[in-house]
Amino acid sequence: MQGVPLSVRKPSQTMAILAMCVVVILVFSVALKGFLTVGNLFALSRNISILGILALGMAIVVIGRGLDLSQVASLAVSTAIAIIVMNAGYPTAIALLIGLGLAIAIGVLNGFLISVVEMPPLLTTLASSLAVLGVTRTVAVQHYVVYLAKGHDDFLRLGGNIWGGVPAPVLVFIAMAILVHLFLSRTVLGRFVYAHGDNPDAARLTGLPTRPLTMMEYGLSAAIGYVGGVVMISETALMHLQVAESTLIFDVIMVVVLGGVSLVGGRGNVMSVVVGTLLIGVLLNGMTIMDMDVQTQNIIKGIVLLVAIVLDSYLNPRDEETSKQGD
Amino acid sequence: MSKTSGMRKLLWSGIAASVLALSAIAATPAKAAEAREELRAQFDKDLKGKTVAWVPVWLGVLESEWTRVMKAHFDDYGMKLEVRDANFKSDVQLQAVSELINERPDVLVVQNPNVTLLAKELKRAMDAGIYVVQVNMASNTLTDAYVGVDAKDMGRRLAKNIIGDCGGGKGSGEISILEGEATAAYSLDMKNGAMEVFKTDPSIKVVSSQPTSWDANKAGEVTATVLQQHPDLCGILSVWGPQAAGAAQVIKAAGKSDKTKIYVASDGQPADCDLLEQGAFYRNLSYRADTQGEAIADAVIGLLQSGDKPGTKRLAFYTVPAWVNSKDDRAYCFTVPKDAK
Repeated sequence: MQGVPLSVRKPSQTMAILAMCVVVILVFSVALKGFLTVGNLFALSRNISILGILALGMAIVVIGRGLDLSQVASLAVSTAIAIIVMNAGYPTAIALLIGLGLAIAIGVLNGFLISVVEMPPLLTTLASSLAVLGVTRTVAVQHYVVYLAKGHDDFLRLGGNIWGGVPAPVLVFIAMAILVHLFLSRTVLGRFVYAHGDNPDAARLTGLPTRPLTMMEYGLSAAIGYVGGVVMISETALMHLQVAESTLIFDVIMVVVLGGVSLVGGRGNVMSVVVGTLLIGVLLNGMTIMDMDVQTQNIIKGIVLLVAIVLDSYLNPRDEETSKQGD
Repeated sequence: MSKTSGMRKLLWSGIAASVLALSAIAATPAKAAEAREELRAQFDKDLKGKTVAWVPVWLGVLESEWTRVMKAHFDDYGMKLEVRDANFKSDVQLQAVSELINERPDVLVVQNPNVTLLAKELKRAMDAGIYVVQVNMASNTLTDAYVGVDAKDMGRRLAKNIIGDCGGGKGSGEISILEGEATAAYSLDMKNGAMEVFKTDPSIKVVSSQPTSWDANKAGEVTATVLQQHPDLCGILSVWGPQAAGAAQVIKAAGKSDKTKIYVASDGQPADCDLLEQGAFYRNLSYRADTQGEAIADAVIGLLQSGDKPGTKRLAFYTVPAWVNSKDDRAYCFTVPKDAK
């Protein structure tokens, strides 16, 4: 199976999820008054933008056969610092760049620990998320919440609507999706990520710089996550560090796996992420319109994830070559 | 004769009475000074060197303010305050309480995450001779003292206020509730209290009641969807300030700031008043963490001085919340002193 071109073999799960998505949309359109309206579709797309952006970053790591549990912690910390710098009166651009630098540093450090110190990604990123949160809380954000001071209206426009009520965050998501798609499919480095995830040993033997590659993957995951974080603060004008301890990171992984970016690495693409995000977004939107209670919502989310994992292991069976810690 | 003897008797008794009275007056200051000294001595004897263990759900803005005020009091009385931050993890909190029971502090102060988690351990603590004070939410085990808000009552008050603005044709009557964590009793109690009142008014329709996990983004997402389905949404009841900020941004982005009003149950953190003054929130029902902190400290020192066996009393100190409508009501948000921390 490994020899089959990616573009031919991959879409299977993505297509299955896409089909599921279409079915759910059709059902909701008929059953739910007010689902199929322009306004609701805008609201829906606004709501999935952040999740989608984070999932794009996560997808790069997962394609490289890794996992980044620190993505949300790193974005929370780096945007909190960016807000503090903004509040101190520095230009918005400078503050955002400082935050970006911090996010990338955390990501690259993760990559270093994983590739050079050879720690397992799961534990490394779990530990680093605790560490960065702890340090930030000790030195900068004692009470977990940091508010953006008044007078940053230009920045807050990023979280608002543009002409015709189109939510600006959606445009960020679309732009990021295009960039990541071009990177993964049109650049040499992007193809390296697939090679790295498909068979790390073969990739190294072939002469790929797998250690710097790992650092780049985690750095990109953190950087793209940071973009999602910036959208987050532009929508709410605050950063609540507790988001790092919420289930958001699992939602991100769910979206990635759901769409067909397999945890065994080397599989999936941006389309998978978009489709996975869409399905979750449509489900959440419909369930909110129905004002469903949270237990029912969790049951449905859980079932969807289980279906996706079953589909994943059916389409990408584990074997010696793809097995790893945690399986 | 009899008259004279009567007079003499009267005179004598009068003299005797005045002598007695005078001697009593003369004696009083010395004795009183002694008594006052004794009072302080007794106070010091009861309190000095006593240990108070404090296990909050986490150390957020509210909890940090309680901690700051408690510490200021206890430091002054020569008591020790030991803080264990559970950081929102119930297993950590349960463990901390269990360990503390073995360490035998004199008083255990806990903030319950829900009504069951600590219930058994609190009973065990009282059996072990430790006074137990519960803060802002009582568990299924009642203990020596409870200090905090009546969340259900806050829900009722908010709902009544919202009906005044949105019900009876004054607004669309469409209301959305932003809950906190789905299982947090503070949030559930408040929602139930509000629903009790909302149900009594047929002009009110609660179109959505969703948990936000205390997350501003999630609150924003829910509000964006609800606002699409119900463009005439009149009021949003949020059980906590910071999450409501996300909803406020969505309403602002949709240009509905004057139509859809946000009512917040506030713990009095400064940002809640800031947001109200900026027009993001319409009205806060606020309690002040600093005065609550004093109430906790008072409950603790009251118990220590009572001489009662732990587990015999059921004292309650309910916080009185106040409405915040404008910047004139700033007093109902607390301010953290600059040199604190």
